[in-house]
Amino acid sequence: SRPPSHNIVPTSLILCATYHSEGHSGQYYTLPPTHIQKLFPYGLPPRFQLQIKTFNEGCVMVRPPALELISYLKRADYSKPPLRYVLYGDIGTGKTMSLCHALHYCYSQGWLIVHVPDAHLWVKNCKELLPSSSRPSRFDQPIQASQWLKNFKITNERFLSKLKTTQRYVWTKRESTEKGQPLGELIDQGVNRMKSSSDVVGAVLRELRLQAGGATEGEGAFKLAVAVDGVNALWGKTSLKKEDRTMCEPEELTLIHNLRKMMKNNWSGGAILTALSQTGSVFKPRSAYLPSELLGEEGFDNMEPFVPVSVSNYNEKEFESCYLYYLDRNWLQHPHSRSEEGKKELIFLSNKNPSILERLCAFL
Amino acid sequence: MAASVRHLLKPWTPSLCLVRWSRYNSYYLDPDPSKDARVPDSELSPEQKELQELKTVRRIKAALSSDTSSPFSDPLMSKFINMMMQDGSKILARGIMTQPREEIECSPHSVFQQALENCKPIIGLASVQKGGKSYQVPVPLTDNRRGFLAMKWMITECRDNKHRRTHMYEKLSQELLAAFANEGNVVKRKHDLHRMAEANRAYAHYRWW
Repeated sequence: SRPPSHNIVPTSLILCATYHSEGHSGQYYTLPPTHIQKLFPYGLPPRFQLQIKTFNEGCVMVRPPALELISYLKRADYSKPPLRYVLYGDIGTGKTMSLCHALHYCYSQGWLIVHVPDAHLWVKNCKELLPSSSRPSRFDQPIQASQWLKNFKITNERFLSKLKTTQRYVWTKRESTEKGQPLGELIDQGVNRMKSSSDVVGAVLRELRLQAGGATEGEGAFKLAVAVDGVNALWGKTSLKKEDRTMCEPEELTLIHNLRKMMKNNWSGGAILTALSQTGSVFKPRSAYLPSELLGEEGFDNMEPFVPVSVSNYNEKEFESCYLYYLDRNWLQHPHSRSEEGKKELIFLSNKNPSILERLCAFL
Repeated sequence: MAASVRHLLKPWTPSLCLVRWSRYNSYYLDPDPSKDARVPDSELSPEQKELQELKTVRRIKAALSSDTSSPFSDPLMSKFINMMMQDGSKILARGIMTQPREEIECSPHSVFQQALENCKPIIGLASVQKGGKSYQVPVPLTDNRRGFLAMKWMITECRDNKHRRTHMYEKLSQELLAAFANEGNVVKRKHDLHRMAEANRAYAHYRWW
């Protein structure tokens, strides 16, 4: 860790996320590599993953939206239905990163994480769309479902043996999962048998909903964090077509249907953290970033009531911090970028937008 | 005096059809977008003062839309991007150019310049016809020509000799790094040219210019 010389210099503090407070805003903290492997196999934005590979460490800036979210999570009452938090903001302002920061806090507190890194991936570019085995009017996506189950297994390994199924699930004539089996078996079933993996996802989500707030005995109690990035995909349009060349509705996809059930607050003992995303969305204009625009009427009605958290571009202090971090890591190679004028130029070109600044500094 | 100047300034249409030549009269001066152009008068020597006065009086060509006053712009880089551009899509060419700069971690700016320096041939070959037969004669090259050949070889190398699925920027970054270390196909091509010139030194006296 580098010692701070004055307030604005970023210090890479390996802090536990519980101790982040207003005073730390603008400073960087390091994500422990073990946590990154377990918690975020696919959760982080791709540019950030490249940055981790280059710098050999993942440093996240502590910013007000994430701090706000964490303070709400600390003070919420978990015997009541879960609160829905929606991160919204313009493109590239750091919604996904704030979500990951809050998720890291939940993980370090020992919650069970249900993380959908990008719901848009379930709604477009699916190579295989099978008609569902259980219900006639639905469609399955085996590849996406099994991928998600694998990630879920990596993230929540310690819970898999503790939780048990509450009812009997029949997959085919010969395969079924009995009542009282550990959750790990259910997930293995889904990973091995691709055909029923979407139904397994639905079953897993149902089990988690039932058991999240229910058990108040010491061993079984856990809090559930549902984190969905790109939540506007659940209520928008899909770009998938059925066999008779008509467009597929989101309700007809098993994965989306089950995820929508999770979004309702008829369970207790957890929190729902979501972030809107325009970049992956289908058929939405680039200038739309407000919840009402991206979620649409149906989505807004379903998600209401929610706590909106707005994410914006860097302010002066955060920009300073980011610039000094890049200087510190020798990321800014061009001699001019190290001068005052170069810095003003960077401010002008990027308008202090985090993603644009990162792309600019990448080739300087 | 005024009449001759007016003659120079009127729109000059050439009698031949020129494809790549500038439409500007030679009276026009090149634009200088850098911020150093605005140095206070006291610091300039007499010749530079004359030059400044000349600039205030004479006509100046219009600046290209890709010229910037920031020191981040590099004339060599702009030339390379223009050469790589196809069908006028400068945005695509610039995007391809920025990606190897991301891949090359240590000081991509100086790596790029040094790599192109290493690719420049010192001597070239020209075809001279004498007695019914044409001979490859070793010939000195101007600086512009050398720079052009280096960039041209780099671009053709990256377009042609690669695996089907590699992207342009990956191949470019690999070639630039190899040229920086004096290895790789482009430097090999430069050495081949030098060897041919060395082999044909007997015909050097066929050159009359």
